[in-house]
Amino acid sequence: MNQKLSEKLSALFSLKIGNISPLLEEPGKIHFGSDSNLMDDDEIADLSAEFLSLTAELLGSQNPDDRKSPEFHALEMFFASLSHKILMRGGRVEEVVRYTQLLQYALIEALEQDSGIPFTESRSVLHYFTSIFNELIMAVFRSYLEERERVLEAQEAELRETATPITEIWDGVLTLPIIGTLDSSRTMLVMEALLNRVAKDHADVVVMDLTGVQNIDSQVSHHLIQIVRAVQLMGSSAIITGIQPEIARALISLNIDLSGVTTRASLSDGLKEAFRRLGIQVSAKAS
Amino acid sequence: MIPGMHLTRIGRDAFLLEPARSLNIRDEARLIEHIAEKLQQAKASCLYYDLAELALIDPVYYAWLNALALTMAAINVRMICIHMQPTAAFSLSGFIAGEPAFETALDIPDVHFTGSPV
Repeated sequence: MNQKLSEKLSALFSLKIGNISPLLEEPGKIHFGSDSNLMDDDEIADLSAEFLSLTAELLGSQNPDDRKSPEFHALEMFFASLSHKILMRGGRVEEVVRYTQLLQYALIEALEQDSGIPFTESRSVLHYFTSIFNELIMAVFRSYLEERERVLEAQEAELRETATPITEIWDGVLTLPIIGTLDSSRTMLVMEALLNRVAKDHADVVVMDLTGVQNIDSQVSHHLIQIVRAVQLMGSSAIITGIQPEIARALISLNIDLSGVTTRASLSDGLKEAFRRLGIQVSAKAS
Repeated sequence: MIPGMHLTRIGRDAFLLEPARSLNIRDEARLIEHIAEKLQQAKASCLYYDLAELALIDPVYYAWLNALALTMAAINVRMICIHMQPTAAFSLSGFIAGEPAFETALDIPDVHFTGSPV
């Protein structure tokens, strides 16, 4: 950073910047107040004051052009946290970006007025603020993308959870009704979730109900058999129930070996078989 | 003491085999002979092989388990693999064709109790 620019920035820092704080509230009011109702006036005033204080610290630091300085990092964090807050309140990333741009213009104008330095004649200072704000807009986008990624991960986890509703219906008996289309990726999800539950719950028997499965292909049927085999390898036993006639025909035409697999017509038959294996007898209460 | 594993009596006629990280299954023949000798001396009828620490079972390790189980069967000892991890079960189920020579169980049944190392 050249000596001249550093001196100019230090000169700006030495001004009574508290005077320009109200001028910086305007962008906040435009983008977060009034119609959008994302922040009230007090919050916008606090936001502007904090921004100004962090900017003053950066301009007053040893090297205001150093992007790795703690002062610049604090400013980046301020915008990242603002972006996160606005998104959580239902705002859009565009609003934060436009706010940041407007804040840049407002800051330059306010400093120009307060210092009497015409920035149009001082390109180095103008260039400095432009590059700083470009970095801050990047921080806003990074925060936005991280937030989106978090939301997507949470949605994926929720989808995984609902796609594999494994229930411990009795001590040591897990049931897994599968509804809809089974494709390879879903089958792998089912396998992962089921094997982890077998290990976690020490399940003796797993009943997989395919009543709601309408289609099955060669790869998926091999995966199904692989699930059964993996469950057996872990020391549990697996029962498949509700195989529709079309699915049964498809399995046979695909040369799938079901000899090591226990099957039952319905989920209720599967549960009876599971109870029988565990030596549990369920009977009607004598009246 | 057999190198790379702990062999513990867990009841009148059952043993627990816990492989250590240092277990060298390339030395298969010598290891199997050692194990078979110990179990025969103790008149064991059941060997529990603990797979809790094994995250993955590859074809080489599977071949070792099968060879051990077949030898155990030859001296009338049942070999039961316990605590197989989901990841290991997943990898194993992907490549085995027929039934393995060993049995599997979630855990050691309550009928056995912890004993002293041999």
